[in-house]
Amino acid sequence: MENESKNLSAEESLKIIHEMIDVAKFGLHDNSFYFLLWGWVVFLANIGHYYLMVFTQYPAPQAVWLIALPASLISVIYGYRNRKSSSVKTYTGSIIDYTWLAFLICLIIIIVFSSRFSYNINPVIMLVTGMATFITGIGIRFKPLIIGGILFWACSIISLILPFEYQYIMGAISVIVGYLIPGYMLRNRSKQLKTRHQNA
Amino acid sequence: MPEFKDLDPLLHSQLRLAIMSLLIGVESAEFVFIKEQTGATAGNLSVQIDKLSQAGYISVEKSFRGKKPLTTCKITSKGLKAFEDYVRNLQHYIGK
Repeated sequence: MENESKNLSAEESLKIIHEMIDVAKFGLHDNSFYFLLWGWVVFLANIGHYYLMVFTQYPAPQAVWLIALPASLISVIYGYRNRKSSSVKTYTGSIIDYTWLAFLICLIIIIVFSSRFSYNINPVIMLVTGMATFITGIGIRFKPLIIGGILFWACSIISLILPFEYQYIMGAISVIVGYLIPGYMLRNRSKQLKTRHQNA
Repeated sequence: MPEFKDLDPLLHSQLRLAIMSLLIGVESAEFVFIKEQTGATAGNLSVQIDKLSQAGYISVEKSFRGKKPLTTCKITSKGLKAFEDYVRNLQHYIGK
């Protein structure tokens, strides 16, 4: 970019402003990795849990959730690497980070005290997941995530109405509509923005 | 081509305007990030950042990350006000 001010028209000025604001607004918040990773992990765990519980005599179907452990490790490593190379700090980014930290704290409390919830924790987890997804969607102004958050709440309500074992089917459906579909859309949008910015 | 007499000459420049527009949307940004996003050369960017900093529009913090020098830029309230005035004047010109 040259520093020539003589030929800068009002329209060109506005274009520069818009382009740079777009970078801060959209280009910096590609959280799609986490949505896709956790979308697939939670989807597989829910389906696995349902299958083991309904179709087999396996005594501990909840063991499938152990796949969350390596996924947590991957998340931490990915986050650490990104933080190291991150050269910009945004207010939105901080709020989103803290929202997911708050979500994690809720999640741990819910899991530790799951017996107090009569093990009926899936709909409760969907509620807090919906909240964090909804706030992230609002923060990065990305409608599919906002809708995803609302659909998590809808799935939670349906889970509370249906018999217990269907909670796992609803859990799987909720991550498809709440994490995976918006996650892939977010990844595509970030790619498009990157290409557009490089060509600008 | 209309005359932009009321437009802040410090902001009415391609690179300085890009720097300010970038900083307006973030809490802080490192030199390398601004360089990548604006596509400017390090030398030119450094000169323009100095100008904005001298005018009090941005604050520049120099530190180290490991052994590498680290320059972090932030918009100041004076800079924010100047940017808002610039955009208002710009809209006025376009609306004319």
